[in-house]
Amino acid sequence: MNYREEMCKAMNLLRDNGYLFVGQSCKYYGTAMFSTLKDVPISQRKEFMVAEDFQLGWSIGQSLVGKKVCSLFPRMDFLISASDQLVNHLDKIEKLSDGEFKPKVIIRTSVGSKTPINPGLQHVGDYSKEIRSMCKNIKVIELYSSELIAKSYKNALESDKSTILVEYGELYDNVPIR
Amino acid sequence: MIEYTKEELQTFEDDIKNEFIKGNIRYPIHLSRGNEYQLIEIFKKYNIGDNDWCFCSHRNHYLALLKGIPKEWLKNQIITGHSMHLMSKEYKFFASSIVGGSLFPAVGVADSGEHTFCFVGDMCSLTGKFHESVQYSLHFNLPITFVIECNGMSTNTPSYETVNIEHKHDSSIKTIHEWENGKVIRYCYERKTPHINVDQFVSFQ
Repeated sequence: MNYREEMCKAMNLLRDNGYLFVGQSCKYYGTAMFSTLKDVPISQRKEFMVAEDFQLGWSIGQSLVGKKVCSLFPRMDFLISASDQLVNHLDKIEKLSDGEFKPKVIIRTSVGSKTPINPGLQHVGDYSKEIRSMCKNIKVIELYSSELIAKSYKNALESDKSTILVEYGELYDNVPIR
Repeated sequence: MIEYTKEELQTFEDDIKNEFIKGNIRYPIHLSRGNEYQLIEIFKKYNIGDNDWCFCSHRNHYLALLKGIPKEWLKNQIITGHSMHLMSKEYKFFASSIVGGSLFPAVGVADSGEHTFCFVGDMCSLTGKFHESVQYSLHFNLPITFVIECNGMSTNTPSYETVNIEHKHDSSIKTIHEWENGKVIRYCYERKTPHINVDQFVSFQ
């Protein structure tokens, strides 16, 4: 199976486990991520304001009341806009609350493709290493190949921690990235 | 639901202040004083109880007491360093010490149908975070009430000066203003404590 097909399979796994998919281009086309939600019913997709910090904070709030949320950020550059809720809240709430709250959000993000057209520095950033260094309680998994996708999403599903799964736009078109 | 008088709330904060002065609290505290009347009224009027969520900021001791958190548990949390980010799943209480940090999780909780109250300061109410949260909540008709606690100050910065608004702060008017059918309310008070800690030198040996 190719990268896109594996991503579809992973989304179906979350779908079958009752996850709600939240973000930009969940219900309306516009990103590579949208195509991987083709088998997810509209009732399990929520198109959100383009307000990343809000989106992630909202996802945390849903998690506080037991909802399962997969929060989509089509570019990792956009996830940076959610840094407050990511670093100061999602990563820290369990410790701050002495374990009373254990919010879990599955975060899906992507490093933008530079080919065949390069969208520029604000759309191709890979901050996996930096986020990993800032967030000690969130797993960051780079999906460097299609073989990693199914296992990584299964692990994210089974974990009681939040996970950021980073996909690479160029792999959707089978362009090697490293 | 435990009901408190103004004097009982003040007594709790005095106790915390004394513990701090004695050097028994090695963490920052943000005491309240001057808004007892308004908070007691709000909790009564909106019937804030066990089933409601309360989101707020670092200045949260009064809110925690009025929400029903036991005094002993609260004091222990404060002494062990949790004053700035007091959280309790049992009492549905969530405080963040990042300005506006509670707003978005509060909206997320409210979007699940849980009734939610979110207390913010006046500087926070001027931010984009507040605007996003209120607009979203109003248009989705969420069961959330935003409460602006206006003392005119953000730490020691006059909040309204930063946005060039001439603000006449009249804390003598104990009026609770409501907008948007009671979804956004605001009250004014004069902060009678320092922004942080206490108004005297404390020696930590």
